[in-house]
Amino acid sequence: MKNKKAKVLAVVLFLLPFILTLASLSIGRFHIPPKDLGRTIIQAISPSAGPEVSAAARDILFRIRLPRLLLALMAGAALSVSGASLQALFKNPLVNEYILGISFGAAFGAALSLVFLGKNFPAQAAAFIFALGAVLAVLLISGRFESHTVSLLLTGVIVSAFFQALLSLVEFFASPYALQSLFFWLMGSLSLATWKDLSISLPVMAVGVAALILMRWRLNVLSLSEEEAKSMGVNVRREKLLVILLTSMITAAATAVAGVIGWIGLIVPHLVRMMVGADNRKVVPLSAALGASVLIIADDITRVAATFEIPIGILTSLIGIPFFIILLRRSGKVWL
Amino acid sequence: MSIEVRGLFFGYEDFRLSVEDLCFEGRKVTSIVGRNGAGKSTFLKCLAGVLPVPKPSLFLDGRNLASLRVRERAKLISYVPQELVLAFNYSVLDFVLMGRAAFLSPFSVPSREDLGTAAEALQFVGLEGFEKRDFSRLSSGERRLVLIARTLAQSAEILLLDEPTTFLDPKHEVEVMNLCRKLALDKGKTVIVTLHNLEMAIKYSDAMVFMKEGRVVASGRPDEVLNTDLLEQVYDIPMSIVTYDGKKIILR
Repeated sequence: MKNKKAKVLAVVLFLLPFILTLASLSIGRFHIPPKDLGRTIIQAISPSAGPEVSAAARDILFRIRLPRLLLALMAGAALSVSGASLQALFKNPLVNEYILGISFGAAFGAALSLVFLGKNFPAQAAAFIFALGAVLAVLLISGRFESHTVSLLLTGVIVSAFFQALLSLVEFFASPYALQSLFFWLMGSLSLATWKDLSISLPVMAVGVAALILMRWRLNVLSLSEEEAKSMGVNVRREKLLVILLTSMITAAATAVAGVIGWIGLIVPHLVRMMVGADNRKVVPLSAALGASVLIIADDITRVAATFEIPIGILTSLIGIPFFIILLRRSGKVWL
Repeated sequence: MSIEVRGLFFGYEDFRLSVEDLCFEGRKVTSIVGRNGAGKSTFLKCLAGVLPVPKPSLFLDGRNLASLRVRERAKLISYVPQELVLAFNYSVLDFVLMGRAAFLSPFSVPSREDLGTAAEALQFVGLEGFEKRDFSRLSSGERRLVLIARTLAQSAEILLLDEPTTFLDPKHEVEVMNLCRKLALDKGKTVIVTLHNLEMAIKYSDAMVFMKEGRVVASGRPDEVLNTDLLEQVYDIPMSIVTYDGKKIILR
Protein backbone atom coordinates (compact mmCIF):
# COMPACT_ATOMS: atom_id res chain seq x y z
CA MET A 1 0.00 0.00 0.00
CA LYS A 2 2.78 2.37 0.98
CA ASN A 3 4.66 1.38 -2.15
CA LYS A 4 1.62 2.05 -4.32
CA LYS A 5 1.16 5.47 -2.74
CA ALA A 6 4.79 6.34 -3.41
CA LYS A 7 4.40 5.31 -7.06
CA VAL A 8 1.29 7.47 -7.49
CA LEU A 9 3.10 10.39 -5.88
CA ALA A 10 6.06 9.95 -8.21
CA VAL A 11 3.81 9.86 -11.30
CA VAL A 12 1.95 12.98 -10.14
CA LEU A 13 5.22 14.82 -9.45
CA PHE A 14 6.62 13.89 -12.86
CA LEU A 15 3.50 14.95 -14.74
CA LEU A 16 3.06 18.18 -12.78
CA PRO A 17 5.66 20.35 -14.58
CA PHE A 18 4.21 19.48 -17.98
CA ILE A 19 0.63 20.17 -16.90
CA LEU A 20 1.76 23.42 -15.29
CA THR A 21 3.66 24.45 -18.41
CA LEU A 22 0.57 23.96 -20.55
CA ALA A 23 -1.65 25.76 -18.05
CA SER A 24 0.83 28.61 -17.62
CA LEU A 25 0.92 29.30 -21.34
CA SER A 26 -2.50 30.92 -20.98
CA ILE A 27 -1.65 32.83 -17.82
CA GLY A 28 -0.50 36.44 -18.03
CA ARG A 29 -1.67 39.94 -18.64
CA PHE A 30 -2.58 38.97 -22.18
CA HIS A 31 -4.94 36.11 -21.48
CA ILE A 32 -4.93 33.33 -24.05
CA PRO A 33 -7.90 31.01 -23.44
CA PRO A 34 -7.12 27.27 -23.62
CA LYS A 35 -9.17 26.99 -26.83
CA ASP A 36 -7.00 29.58 -28.59
CA LEU A 37 -3.91 28.03 -27.09
CA GLY A 38 -4.67 24.75 -28.85
CA ARG A 39 -5.39 26.54 -32.09
CA THR A 40 -2.18 28.55 -31.97
CA ILE A 41 -0.14 25.44 -31.33
CA ILE A 42 -1.83 23.56 -34.20
CA GLN A 43 -1.29 26.51 -36.47
CA ALA A 44 2.38 26.65 -35.57
CA ILE A 45 2.84 22.96 -36.27
CA SER A 46 0.99 23.01 -39.59
CA PRO A 47 0.58 26.61 -40.83
CA SER A 48 -1.33 25.78 -44.01
CA ALA A 49 -3.95 23.49 -42.51
CA GLY A 50 -4.26 25.26 -39.19
CA PRO A 51 -7.01 27.68 -38.22
CA GLU A 52 -6.54 31.46 -38.26
CA VAL A 53 -5.14 32.88 -35.03
CA SER A 54 -4.11 36.35 -34.03
CA ALA A 55 -0.49 37.29 -34.64
CA ALA A 56 -0.33 38.84 -31.17
CA ALA A 57 -1.29 35.57 -29.48
CA ARG A 58 1.21 33.67 -31.58
CA ASP A 59 4.02 36.10 -30.84
CA ILE A 60 3.30 36.21 -27.14
CA LEU A 61 3.11 32.45 -26.95
CA PHE A 62 6.20 31.55 -28.93
CA ARG A 63 8.47 34.52 -28.43
CA ILE A 64 7.72 35.36 -24.81
CA ARG A 65 5.86 32.70 -22.85
CA LEU A 66 7.30 29.49 -24.24
CA PRO A 67 10.98 30.42 -23.79
CA ARG A 68 10.18 31.82 -20.37
CA LEU A 69 8.37 28.67 -19.28
CA LEU A 70 11.05 26.41 -20.68
CA LEU A 71 13.58 28.42 -18.71
CA ALA A 72 11.47 28.12 -15.54
CA LEU A 73 11.14 24.39 -16.13
CA MET A 74 14.83 23.75 -16.73
CA ALA A 75 16.21 26.29 -14.22
CA GLY A 76 13.89 24.94 -11.50
CA ALA A 77 15.03 21.40 -12.24
CA ALA A 78 18.69 22.41 -12.50
CA LEU A 79 18.83 24.40 -9.25
CA SER A 80 16.97 21.70 -7.32
CA VAL A 81 19.05 18.83 -8.67
CA SER A 82 22.16 20.86 -8.00
CA GLY A 83 21.01 21.46 -4.40
CA ALA A 84 20.15 17.78 -3.81
CA SER A 85 23.49 16.65 -5.25
CA LEU A 86 25.57 19.12 -3.24
CA GLN A 87 23.71 18.20 -0.06
CA ALA A 88 24.58 14.54 -0.57
CA LEU A 89 28.15 15.33 -1.56
CA PHE A 90 28.80 17.54 1.47
CA LYS A 91 26.79 15.28 3.77
CA ASN A 92 24.74 18.23 4.84
CA PRO A 93 21.10 19.01 4.04
CA LEU A 94 21.68 22.74 4.54
CA VAL A 95 24.18 23.13 1.74
CA ASN A 96 23.15 24.59 -1.60
CA GLU A 97 24.72 26.41 -4.49
CA TYR A 98 23.78 29.72 -2.85
CA ILE A 99 25.60 28.91 0.38
CA LEU A 100 28.64 27.44 -1.35
CA GLY A 101 29.20 30.70 -3.23
CA ILE A 102 28.41 29.16 -6.61
CA SER A 103 25.44 31.46 -7.25
CA PHE A 104 27.28 34.71 -6.64
CA GLY A 105 30.38 33.42 -8.43
CA ALA A 106 28.19 32.72 -11.44
CA ALA A 107 26.39 36.06 -11.07
CA PHE A 108 29.70 37.94 -11.00
CA GLY A 109 30.97 36.06 -14.06
CA ALA A 110 27.79 36.71 -16.01
CA ALA A 111 27.70 40.39 -14.96
CA LEU A 112 31.33 40.83 -15.96
CA SER A 113 30.57 39.37 -19.34
CA LEU A 114 27.37 41.42 -19.81
CA VAL A 115 28.94 44.73 -18.85
CA PHE A 116 32.47 44.53 -20.23
CA LEU A 117 32.54 41.82 -22.84
CA GLY A 118 29.22 42.56 -24.48
CA LYS A 119 27.63 39.91 -26.61
CA ASN A 120 30.92 38.56 -27.94
CA PHE A 121 31.56 36.27 -25.02
CA PRO A 122 28.79 33.95 -23.80
CA ALA A 123 27.69 34.93 -20.29
CA GLN A 124 27.25 31.23 -19.52
CA ALA A 125 30.96 30.52 -19.96
CA ALA A 126 32.03 33.42 -17.72
CA ALA A 127 29.40 32.37 -15.16
CA PHE A 128 30.71 28.81 -15.19
CA ILE A 129 34.35 29.84 -14.73
CA PHE A 130 33.59 32.02 -11.71
CA ALA A 131 31.05 29.59 -10.24
CA LEU A 132 33.70 26.91 -10.29
CA GLY A 133 36.24 29.37 -8.94
CA ALA A 134 33.92 30.20 -6.05
CA VAL A 135 33.23 26.62 -5.01
CA LEU A 136 36.90 25.64 -5.30
CA ALA A 137 37.82 28.68 -3.20
CA VAL A 138 35.30 27.56 -0.57
CA LEU A 139 36.81 24.08 -0.54
CA LEU A 140 40.39 25.34 -0.35
CA ILE A 141 39.73 27.93 2.34
CA SER A 142 37.63 25.63 4.49
CA GLY A 143 40.77 23.54 4.44
CA ARG A 144 39.63 20.10 3.51
CA PHE A 145 37.87 18.27 0.80
CA GLU A 146 35.61 16.54 3.29
CA SER A 147 34.19 19.66 4.81
CA HIS A 148 33.05 20.38 8.28
CA THR A 149 29.62 21.95 8.39
CA VAL A 150 30.53 25.10 10.24
CA SER A 151 33.76 25.89 8.43
CA LEU A 152 32.07 25.14 5.13
CA LEU A 153 29.09 27.38 5.78
CA LEU A 154 31.26 30.21 7.10
CA THR A 155 33.64 29.99 4.17
CA GLY A 156 30.65 29.94 1.83
CA VAL A 157 29.42 33.16 3.40
CA ILE A 158 32.86 34.76 3.05
CA VAL A 159 33.35 33.73 -0.56
CA SER A 160 29.78 34.81 -1.42
CA ALA A 161 30.46 38.20 0.18
CA PHE A 162 33.68 38.52 -1.79
CA PHE A 163 31.91 37.86 -5.09
CA GLN A 164 29.09 40.20 -4.09
CA ALA A 165 31.71 42.90 -3.56
CA LEU A 166 33.21 42.18 -6.97
CA LEU A 167 29.70 42.32 -8.39
CA SER A 168 29.21 45.77 -6.84
CA LEU A 169 32.47 46.83 -8.44
CA VAL A 170 31.13 45.76 -11.84
CA GLU A 171 27.93 47.70 -11.11
CA PHE A 172 29.99 50.73 -10.14
CA PHE A 173 31.80 50.76 -13.47
CA ALA A 174 28.78 49.84 -15.56
CA SER A 175 27.11 52.42 -17.78
CA PRO A 176 23.68 53.59 -16.57
CA TYR A 177 21.99 51.64 -19.34
CA ALA A 178 23.88 48.40 -18.57
CA LEU A 179 23.34 48.99 -14.86
CA GLN A 180 19.58 49.06 -15.24
CA SER A 181 19.38 45.70 -16.99
CA LEU A 182 22.05 44.25 -14.71
CA PHE A 183 20.13 45.34 -11.66
CA PHE A 184 16.89 43.72 -12.82
CA TRP A 185 18.63 40.55 -13.94
CA LEU A 186 20.49 40.16 -10.63
CA MET A 187 17.26 40.06 -8.67
CA GLY A 188 16.37 36.96 -10.64
CA SER A 189 13.99 37.16 -13.50
CA LEU A 190 12.80 34.82 -16.17
CA SER A 191 11.40 37.62 -18.30
CA LEU A 192 14.70 38.17 -20.10
CA ALA A 193 14.63 34.71 -21.65
CA THR A 194 15.24 34.79 -25.37
CA TRP A 195 15.64 31.83 -27.68
CA LYS A 196 19.22 32.91 -28.37
CA ASP A 197 20.23 32.73 -24.70
CA LEU A 198 18.30 29.55 -24.19
CA SER A 199 20.01 27.87 -27.13
CA ILE A 200 23.12 27.62 -24.93
CA SER A 201 21.65 27.41 -21.44
CA LEU A 202 18.93 24.82 -21.99
CA PRO A 203 21.15 22.09 -23.50
CA VAL A 204 23.82 22.70 -20.83
CA MET A 205 21.24 22.40 -18.05
CA ALA A 206 19.64 19.35 -19.68
CA VAL A 207 22.98 17.52 -19.99
CA GLY A 208 24.04 18.40 -16.43
CA VAL A 209 20.69 17.42 -14.90
CA ALA A 210 20.65 14.16 -16.86
CA ALA A 211 24.20 13.29 -15.74
CA LEU A 212 23.37 13.98 -12.08
CA ILE A 213 20.18 11.95 -12.35
CA LEU A 214 22.29 9.09 -13.69
CA MET A 215 24.61 9.51 -10.67
CA ARG A 216 21.69 9.46 -8.23
CA TRP A 217 22.56 6.21 -6.52
CA ARG A 218 26.24 7.03 -6.41
CA LEU A 219 25.31 10.16 -4.46
CA ASN A 220 24.07 7.88 -1.67
CA VAL A 221 27.53 6.34 -1.43
CA LEU A 222 29.23 9.74 -1.70
CA SER A 223 27.14 10.96 1.24
CA LEU A 224 29.01 8.51 3.52
CA SER A 225 32.34 9.49 5.07
CA GLU A 226 35.18 9.79 2.59
CA GLU A 227 36.95 6.86 4.26
CA GLU A 228 33.95 4.60 3.92
CA ALA A 229 33.24 5.56 0.33
CA LYS A 230 36.89 5.00 -0.57
CA SER A 231 37.00 1.61 1.12
CA MET A 232 33.89 0.69 -0.88
CA GLY A 233 35.68 1.23 -4.17
CA VAL A 234 34.69 4.81 -4.96
CA ASN A 235 37.30 7.14 -6.39
CA VAL A 236 36.07 9.86 -4.06
CA ARG A 237 38.16 12.78 -5.29
CA ARG A 238 37.39 12.20 -8.93
CA GLU A 239 33.67 11.68 -8.40
CA LYS A 240 33.38 14.63 -6.03
CA LEU A 241 35.04 16.84 -8.58
CA LEU A 242 32.69 15.54 -11.28
CA VAL A 243 29.62 16.38 -9.17
CA ILE A 244 31.03 19.84 -8.38
CA LEU A 245 31.72 20.46 -12.09
CA LEU A 246 28.22 19.37 -13.08
CA THR A 247 26.45 21.39 -10.38
CA SER A 248 28.55 24.49 -11.13
CA MET A 249 27.81 24.05 -14.82
CA ILE A 250 24.04 23.88 -14.45
CA THR A 251 23.89 26.62 -11.81
CA ALA A 252 25.98 28.86 -14.05
CA ALA A 253 23.79 28.11 -17.07
CA ALA A 254 20.66 28.96 -15.04
CA THR A 255 22.16 32.07 -13.42
CA ALA A 256 23.54 33.46 -16.69
CA VAL A 257 20.01 33.70 -18.09
CA ALA A 258 17.77 33.97 -15.06
CA GLY A 259 19.93 35.80 -12.51
CA VAL A 260 20.27 34.76 -8.90
CA ILE A 261 17.31 32.60 -7.91
CA GLY A 262 18.20 31.46 -4.43
CA TRP A 263 16.79 28.89 -2.05
CA ILE A 264 15.05 26.63 -4.58
CA GLY A 265 17.99 24.24 -4.27
CA LEU A 266 17.49 24.07 -0.54
CA ILE A 267 13.72 23.90 -0.22
CA VAL A 268 12.84 21.50 -3.00
CA PRO A 269 15.15 18.57 -2.12
CA HIS A 270 14.08 18.94 1.48
CA LEU A 271 10.39 18.74 0.59
CA VAL A 272 11.09 15.69 -1.55
CA ARG A 273 12.99 14.02 1.29
CA MET A 274 10.02 14.66 3.58
CA MET A 275 7.80 12.86 1.08
CA VAL A 276 9.95 9.91 -0.05
CA GLY A 277 12.88 9.59 2.37
CA ALA A 278 16.58 10.20 1.83
CA ASP A 279 17.38 7.73 -0.96
CA ASN A 280 18.86 9.84 -3.76
CA ARG A 281 17.59 7.39 -6.36
CA LYS A 282 14.24 9.04 -5.67
CA VAL A 283 15.33 12.42 -4.29
CA VAL A 284 17.33 13.57 -7.33
CA PRO A 285 14.81 12.89 -10.13
CA LEU A 286 11.83 13.98 -8.02
CA SER A 287 13.67 17.19 -7.06
CA ALA A 288 14.04 17.90 -10.78
CA ALA A 289 10.28 17.47 -11.26
CA LEU A 290 9.22 19.39 -8.17
CA GLY A 291 11.82 22.14 -8.72
CA ALA A 292 10.52 22.71 -12.24
CA SER A 293 6.94 22.89 -10.93
CA VAL A 294 7.82 25.25 -8.08
CA LEU A 295 9.62 27.69 -10.35
CA ILE A 296 6.79 27.63 -12.89
CA ILE A 297 4.28 28.42 -10.12
CA ALA A 298 6.57 31.11 -8.68
CA ASP A 299 6.89 32.65 -12.12
CA ASP A 300 3.11 32.55 -12.61
CA ILE A 301 2.73 34.40 -9.30
CA THR A 302 5.25 37.08 -10.28
CA ARG A 303 3.41 37.58 -13.56
CA VAL A 304 -0.12 37.89 -12.23
CA ALA A 305 0.12 38.95 -8.58
CA ALA A 306 0.66 42.65 -9.27
CA THR A 307 0.38 45.10 -12.12
CA PHE A 308 4.17 45.22 -12.20
CA GLU A 309 6.39 42.16 -12.27
CA ILE A 310 8.07 41.13 -9.02
CA PRO A 311 11.56 39.66 -9.65
CA ILE A 312 11.32 35.92 -9.01
CA GLY A 313 14.59 35.86 -7.03
CA ILE A 314 12.98 38.13 -4.44
CA LEU A 315 9.97 35.84 -4.16
CA THR A 316 12.04 32.66 -3.74
CA SER A 317 14.24 34.37 -1.13
CA LEU A 318 11.24 35.67 0.81
CA ILE A 319 9.86 32.14 1.03
CA GLY A 320 13.21 30.37 1.24
CA ILE A 321 14.86 32.20 4.09
CA PRO A 322 12.17 31.49 6.76
CA PHE A 323 12.16 27.91 5.52
CA PHE A 324 15.95 27.74 5.95
CA ILE A 325 15.65 29.02 9.53
CA ILE A 326 13.13 26.31 10.35
CA LEU A 327 15.46 23.70 8.81
CA LEU A 328 18.42 25.01 10.73
CA ARG A 329 16.52 24.71 13.99
CA ARG A 330 15.51 21.17 13.20
CA SER A 331 18.81 20.01 11.76
CA GLY A 332 20.50 19.23 15.07
CA LYS A 333 17.80 16.77 15.96
CA VAL A 334 16.82 15.13 12.76
CA TRP A 335 19.36 15.15 10.00
CA LEU A 336 22.85 15.46 11.38
CA MET B 1 43.01 -15.12 1.64
CA SER B 2 45.86 -13.93 3.81
CA ILE B 3 47.42 -10.49 4.14
CA GLU B 4 51.13 -10.18 4.57
CA VAL B 5 52.61 -7.01 5.95
CA ARG B 6 56.26 -6.33 5.16
CA GLY B 7 57.94 -3.12 6.27
CA LEU B 8 54.78 -1.02 6.55
CA PHE B 9 55.40 2.56 7.55
CA PHE B 10 52.96 5.40 7.96
CA GLY B 11 53.47 8.66 9.83
CA TYR B 12 51.58 11.84 10.55
CA GLU B 13 52.34 14.71 12.92
CA ASP B 14 54.11 13.08 15.87
CA PHE B 15 52.79 9.56 15.33
CA ARG B 16 54.65 6.76 13.53
CA LEU B 17 53.17 3.40 12.59
CA SER B 18 55.79 0.83 11.76
CA VAL B 19 55.04 -2.87 11.22
CA GLU B 20 58.02 -4.95 10.14
CA ASP B 21 56.66 -8.39 9.43
CA LEU B 22 53.21 -9.77 10.12
CA CYS B 23 50.78 -12.17 8.50
CA PHE B 24 46.99 -12.26 8.91
CA GLU B 25 45.96 -15.77 8.08
CA GLY B 26 42.98 -16.50 5.88
CA ARG B 27 39.65 -17.82 7.21
CA LYS B 28 40.60 -16.73 10.74
CA VAL B 29 39.53 -14.04 13.20
CA THR B 30 42.45 -11.86 14.28
CA SER B 31 42.10 -9.22 16.99
CA ILE B 32 44.37 -6.23 17.18
CA VAL B 33 44.60 -4.95 20.77
CA GLY B 34 46.45 -2.22 22.59
CA ARG B 35 45.97 1.08 24.38
CA ASN B 36 44.19 4.06 22.87
CA GLY B 37 46.55 5.74 20.46
CA ALA B 38 48.62 2.58 19.95
CA GLY B 39 47.95 2.78 16.21
CA LYS B 40 45.30 0.03 15.86
CA SER B 41 42.88 2.12 13.81
CA THR B 42 45.68 3.64 11.72
CA PHE B 43 46.95 0.14 10.99
CA LEU B 44 43.45 -0.97 9.93
CA LYS B 45 43.07 2.09 7.71
CA CYS B 46 46.39 1.32 6.04
CA LEU B 47 45.21 -2.23 5.42
CA ALA B 48 41.90 -0.88 4.06
CA GLY B 49 43.69 1.46 1.66
CA VAL B 50 42.02 4.47 3.25
CA LEU B 51 45.39 5.88 4.28
CA PRO B 52 48.14 5.99 1.69
CA VAL B 53 51.05 3.67 2.33
CA PRO B 54 54.30 5.05 0.86
CA LYS B 55 55.85 1.86 -0.52
CA PRO B 56 54.67 -1.62 -1.44
CA SER B 57 54.29 -3.29 1.92
CA LEU B 58 50.93 -5.07 1.83
CA PHE B 59 50.48 -8.31 -0.05
CA LEU B 60 47.30 -10.26 -0.55
CA ASP B 61 48.14 -13.89 -1.29
CA GLY B 62 51.39 -12.53 -2.68
CA ARG B 63 49.77 -9.73 -4.75
CA ASN B 64 50.95 -6.21 -4.07
CA LEU B 65 47.89 -4.31 -2.83
CA ALA B 66 49.26 -0.93 -3.93
CA SER B 67 49.08 -2.04 -7.56
CA LEU B 68 45.31 -2.47 -7.39
CA ARG B 69 42.79 0.21 -8.37
CA VAL B 70 40.46 1.45 -5.62
CA ARG B 71 37.61 -0.51 -7.13
CA GLU B 72 39.52 -3.79 -7.44
CA ARG B 73 40.84 -3.42 -3.92
CA ALA B 74 37.32 -2.90 -2.55
CA LYS B 75 36.26 -6.20 -4.06
CA LEU B 76 38.92 -7.90 -1.93
CA ILE B 77 38.98 -5.84 1.28
CA SER B 78 36.06 -4.21 3.08
CA TYR B 79 36.27 -1.89 6.03
CA VAL B 80 33.95 -0.58 8.73
CA PRO B 81 35.21 2.57 10.46
CA GLN B 82 34.90 3.16 14.16
CA GLU B 83 32.80 6.27 13.82
CA LEU B 84 29.87 6.62 11.54
CA VAL B 85 29.10 9.88 9.79
CA LEU B 86 25.52 9.78 8.65
CA ALA B 87 23.91 12.94 7.39
CA PHE B 88 20.87 11.33 5.87
CA ASN B 89 18.45 8.81 7.12
CA TYR B 90 18.66 5.86 4.74
CA SER B 91 16.68 2.67 5.09
CA VAL B 92 18.57 -0.41 6.28
CA LEU B 93 18.40 -2.04 2.83
CA ASP B 94 19.60 1.13 1.06
CA PHE B 95 22.46 1.29 3.50
CA VAL B 96 23.54 -2.32 2.94
CA LEU B 97 23.10 -1.87 -0.81
CA MET B 98 25.86 0.76 -0.79
CA GLY B 99 28.28 -2.13 -0.27
CA ARG B 100 27.78 -2.90 -3.97
CA ALA B 101 29.47 0.35 -5.08
CA ALA B 102 32.63 -1.38 -6.30
CA PHE B 103 30.58 -3.45 -8.73
CA LEU B 104 28.72 -0.51 -10.28
CA SER B 105 29.78 2.39 -12.46
CA PRO B 106 29.17 5.91 -11.07
CA PHE B 107 26.31 6.30 -13.54
CA SER B 108 24.36 3.15 -12.77
CA VAL B 109 21.92 2.01 -10.11
CA PRO B 110 21.90 -1.36 -8.35
CA SER B 111 20.27 -4.26 -10.18
CA ARG B 112 17.89 -6.87 -8.85
CA GLU B 113 20.90 -9.08 -8.29
CA ASP B 114 22.55 -6.43 -6.13
CA LEU B 115 19.34 -6.13 -4.15
CA GLY B 116 19.35 -9.90 -3.66
CA THR B 117 22.95 -9.83 -2.41
CA ALA B 118 22.08 -7.06 0.06
CA ALA B 119 18.98 -8.90 1.33
CA GLU B 120 21.01 -12.08 1.72
CA ALA B 121 23.68 -10.23 3.71
CA LEU B 122 20.99 -8.88 6.04
CA GLN B 123 19.62 -12.36 6.48
CA PHE B 124 23.09 -13.68 7.35
CA VAL B 125 23.53 -11.17 10.18
CA GLY B 126 20.06 -12.02 11.48
CA LEU B 127 18.30 -8.81 10.46
CA GLU B 128 15.77 -10.24 8.06
CA GLY B 129 12.67 -8.06 8.09
CA PHE B 130 14.67 -4.91 8.90
CA GLU B 131 14.97 -3.86 5.24
CA LYS B 132 12.65 -0.87 5.36
CA ARG B 133 13.53 0.34 8.85
CA ASP B 134 15.38 3.64 9.22
CA PHE B 135 19.06 3.06 9.93
CA SER B 136 19.19 5.98 12.36
CA ARG B 137 16.44 4.50 14.50
CA LEU B 138 18.28 1.25 15.12
CA SER B 139 20.09 0.46 18.36
CA SER B 140 23.91 0.63 18.39
CA GLY B 141 24.07 -3.17 18.28
CA GLU B 142 21.73 -3.42 15.31
CA ARG B 143 23.68 -0.70 13.51
CA ARG B 144 26.88 -2.66 13.93
CA LEU B 145 25.20 -5.72 12.44
CA VAL B 146 23.95 -3.64 9.49
CA LEU B 147 27.49 -2.35 8.92
CA ILE B 148 28.78 -5.91 8.92
CA ALA B 149 26.01 -6.82 6.46
CA ARG B 150 27.24 -3.99 4.24
CA THR B 151 30.76 -5.42 4.20
CA LEU B 152 29.23 -8.79 3.30
CA ALA B 153 27.33 -7.20 0.41
CA GLN B 154 30.69 -5.91 -0.75
CA SER B 155 31.60 -9.61 -1.29
CA ALA B 156 35.18 -9.03 -0.15
CA GLU B 157 37.24 -11.85 1.29
CA ILE B 158 38.84 -9.72 3.96
CA LEU B 159 36.76 -7.81 6.52
CA LEU B 160 38.33 -5.08 8.62
CA LEU B 161 36.20 -3.95 11.56
CA ASP B 162 37.37 -1.06 13.69
CA GLU B 163 36.14 -1.54 17.26
CA PRO B 164 32.92 -3.29 16.29
CA THR B 165 31.90 -3.84 19.90
CA THR B 166 32.49 -0.38 21.37
CA PHE B 167 29.42 1.02 23.17
CA LEU B 168 27.61 -2.31 22.93
CA ASP B 169 25.95 -4.08 25.84
CA PRO B 170 27.31 -7.59 26.66
CA LYS B 171 24.54 -9.32 24.68
CA HIS B 172 25.24 -7.40 21.48
CA GLU B 173 28.96 -7.65 22.07
CA VAL B 174 28.68 -11.43 22.07
CA GLU B 175 26.36 -11.32 19.06
CA VAL B 176 28.84 -9.30 16.99
CA MET B 177 31.79 -11.49 17.96
CA ASN B 178 29.82 -14.66 17.24
CA LEU B 179 29.02 -13.23 13.86
CA CYS B 180 32.74 -12.61 13.25
CA ARG B 181 33.43 -16.24 13.98
CA LYS B 182 30.59 -17.36 11.75
CA LEU B 183 31.96 -15.21 8.93
CA ALA B 184 35.36 -16.90 9.23
CA LEU B 185 34.05 -20.43 9.67
CA ASP B 186 30.99 -20.51 7.40
CA LYS B 187 31.92 -17.97 4.75
CA GLY B 188 35.68 -18.44 4.84
CA LYS B 189 36.34 -14.74 5.38
CA THR B 190 39.49 -13.31 6.90
CA VAL B 191 38.23 -11.14 9.75
CA ILE B 192 40.46 -8.54 11.38
CA VAL B 193 39.02 -6.55 14.30
CA THR B 194 40.39 -4.01 16.72
CA LEU B 195 39.13 -4.59 20.26
CA HIS B 196 39.43 -3.17 23.75
CA ASN B 197 37.77 -6.05 25.55
CA LEU B 198 40.60 -8.49 26.09
CA GLU B 199 38.43 -11.38 27.31
CA MET B 200 36.39 -11.11 24.12
CA ALA B 201 39.55 -11.03 22.05
CA ILE B 202 40.90 -14.14 23.78
CA LYS B 203 37.62 -16.02 23.48
CA TYR B 204 36.75 -15.25 19.88
CA SER B 205 40.07 -14.84 18.10
CA ASP B 206 42.27 -17.36 16.36
CA ALA B 207 45.13 -14.90 16.61
CA MET B 208 45.94 -11.71 18.49
CA VAL B 209 48.18 -8.80 17.59
CA PHE B 210 49.42 -6.61 20.46
CA MET B 211 50.33 -3.05 19.58
CA LYS B 212 52.10 -0.27 21.42
CA GLU B 213 53.23 3.14 20.19
CA GLY B 214 52.72 2.26 16.55
CA ARG B 215 54.57 -1.06 16.70
CA VAL B 216 53.56 -4.69 16.96
CA VAL B 217 54.86 -5.98 20.29
CA ALA B 218 53.68 -9.57 19.93
CA SER B 219 51.39 -11.70 17.81
CA GLY B 220 50.18 -15.27 17.71
CA ARG B 221 47.51 -17.62 19.06
CA PRO B 222 45.99 -16.23 22.27
CA ASP B 223 46.94 -19.26 24.38
CA GLU B 224 50.52 -19.15 23.12
CA VAL B 225 51.24 -15.46 23.19
CA LEU B 226 49.31 -14.19 26.18
CA ASN B 227 51.15 -13.66 29.47
CA THR B 228 51.17 -11.16 32.31
CA ASP B 229 54.44 -9.53 31.26
CA LEU B 230 53.12 -8.85 27.78
CA LEU B 231 49.90 -7.31 29.10
CA GLU B 232 51.80 -5.09 31.51
CA GLN B 233 54.17 -4.05 28.75
CA VAL B 234 51.29 -3.19 26.40
CA TYR B 235 48.95 -1.50 28.86
CA ASP B 236 51.45 -0.03 31.38
CA ILE B 237 49.40 -1.12 34.40
CA PRO B 238 49.72 -4.14 36.68
CA MET B 239 47.60 -6.96 35.23
CA SER B 240 47.26 -10.65 35.86
CA ILE B 241 45.60 -13.58 34.15
CA VAL B 242 43.55 -16.14 36.05
CA THR B 243 41.88 -19.20 34.65
CA TYR B 244 38.41 -19.90 35.90
CA ASP B 245 36.24 -22.71 34.59
CA GLY B 246 38.57 -23.04 31.59
CA LYS B 247 38.23 -19.37 30.69
CA LYS B 248 40.95 -16.79 30.92
CA ILE B 249 40.04 -13.73 32.95
CA ILE B 250 42.17 -10.64 33.08
CA LEU B 251 42.44 -8.89 36.43
CA ARG B 252 43.55 -5.29 36.54
